[in-house]
Amino acid sequence: MTVALKSWTALGTSVHVIATDADGLGRATTAVGDVLEDVDTAYSRFREDSELSRLNASPGRTVRVSPLLATAIDAAQRAARLTDGAVDPTIGQAIRVAGYDDDFSRIAAQDGPINLRAWRVPGWQAIRFDRRSRTVLLPPGVELDLGSTGKALAADLAARAALAATGAGGVLVSLGGDIATAGTPPAGGWRIHVTEDSREKPDGDGEVICLPAGGVATSSTTVRRWTRGAAVLHHIIDPQTSLPTTGPFRTVTVAAATCLDANIASTAAIVRGTAAIEWLMGWGLPARLVENDGTIHYIGRWPDPSGIAA
Amino acid sequence: MNALTPIQRDRGLQRLRRLTFGATAGALVAVVGVSYVAAASYAGKSSATAASTTTSTTTTADSSSTSSSTSLQPTQAPTTGSSGSGTVTSGGS
Repeated sequence: MTVALKSWTALGTSVHVIATDADGLGRATTAVGDVLEDVDTAYSRFREDSELSRLNASPGRTVRVSPLLATAIDAAQRAARLTDGAVDPTIGQAIRVAGYDDDFSRIAAQDGPINLRAWRVPGWQAIRFDRRSRTVLLPPGVELDLGSTGKALAADLAARAALAATGAGGVLVSLGGDIATAGTPPAGGWRIHVTEDSREKPDGDGEVICLPAGGVATSSTTVRRWTRGAAVLHHIIDPQTSLPTTGPFRTVTVAAATCLDANIASTAAIVRGTAAIEWLMGWGLPARLVENDGTIHYIGRWPDPSGIAA
Repeated sequence: MNALTPIQRDRGLQRLRRLTFGATAGALVAVVGVSYVAAASYAGKSSATAASTTTSTTTTADSSSTSSSTSLQPTQAPTTGSSGSGTVTSGGS
C-alpha cells in the first residue's frame, strides 16, 4: 500500500500528515490545519490573545472557556492525577521564570544571566475547574502551561479530524515527533523512526518501529535547550522544584493507545527518573529510555533490536 | 350487594379524601426532592461572577477526546521495522 505525505510548520514545530488514501491527503491536511489553528487560538502560551493567555491574566476570577480549552485543561488534570503530579499544568510561572517565555526561535538567541530558585509549583489541585459548566478559576500565583499534554492532544484531535475528512483508510499526524494515528494502518503498521531529535531524517540515527495503532511520543532534554549565563536549561520542568529536570534519562519514547497517553508517560518518566522503569512497567506501556550516557533500555513490549528482552 | 348507609358512605368519602391528600402531599415531596438532587448534580456559576473568554472554534473536543479513563491505556506492541517511504520521526522537539 502506498501512502501520501505532506509536511509543513505550525505551532512552532514540524507537522507531518500521512494518508493511506492518497486522494484524501488534501482533505486530511486541511482538517489538520483547521485543528491546529483552533489549538493555537485556544491554548497557545505565546499568543497574548489566546484563551489561555487571557485565563492566566485573570487570577481570582471565574472564567468560562471554550470546549477545546476545557478539553485541554481536563486532559492536563488527568495527566497530573495519573502521574501523581509529575506532569503538572501549573508549571506556567516556573517555565516562564526559567526563561522559556516566548516562541523558542527567539529564546535561543538570548543568553543573559538569570536568577533561579527552587520552589514547588502550586499543583494541579489548585485549579478550580468545573467540567460541566466549563468554568475555571485560577487562584493568584497559578499560571497554566499546557505545552506538554496540549501538543499530544492536538495530534490526537487532528488525526481524528483527518480521518473523518478522508472518510476511509488511515491517517497519521506527527506534531514535532508526537505521533497519533487513526483508522486502518498500512500493511505492516505505521513506520516510525525513533530517535532523540524529531528533526532527524528518517534514515538517521535511531531505530524504526512499526506501530499497528495508537500513538507514540518522545520527551527529551536534548532539544529546546537554552543558556542563561553559565546555566544550560531545558523545557521539561520538575514540579517539585520548578527547575528543569536533572534525572538519569535524557530521552524517553512511549507507545500507548493515544498520543496523549504516550506523552503523559514519556514526560512523567523524564521527571520521575530511576523510578520511571517500574512505573512504566506497571502501566504495561512499551518504552525506550536513553540514559544521559547514551545507554538505552527497552521495557515492556518495546522491540529490542538486539533481540534480548529487558 | 348491600346498600351503604349514609354514615358508611360519609366515612368512605372521608377515607377517600385522606388518601387523595396523602398521595398529593407525597408526590409534592417527591418532586421537591428530585428537583433538589437535580440542582445539586448540575452545579453552575452565576453569570454575574463568570467572565467569559470563550473563543469560537470548530474543532470537536468532547470529553471522549481526552480519554477520560483513570489509567494510561496501552496499545498493541510495536514491532521492529525498517525505514522506507512514509516513515516519520518521533523525537524530542
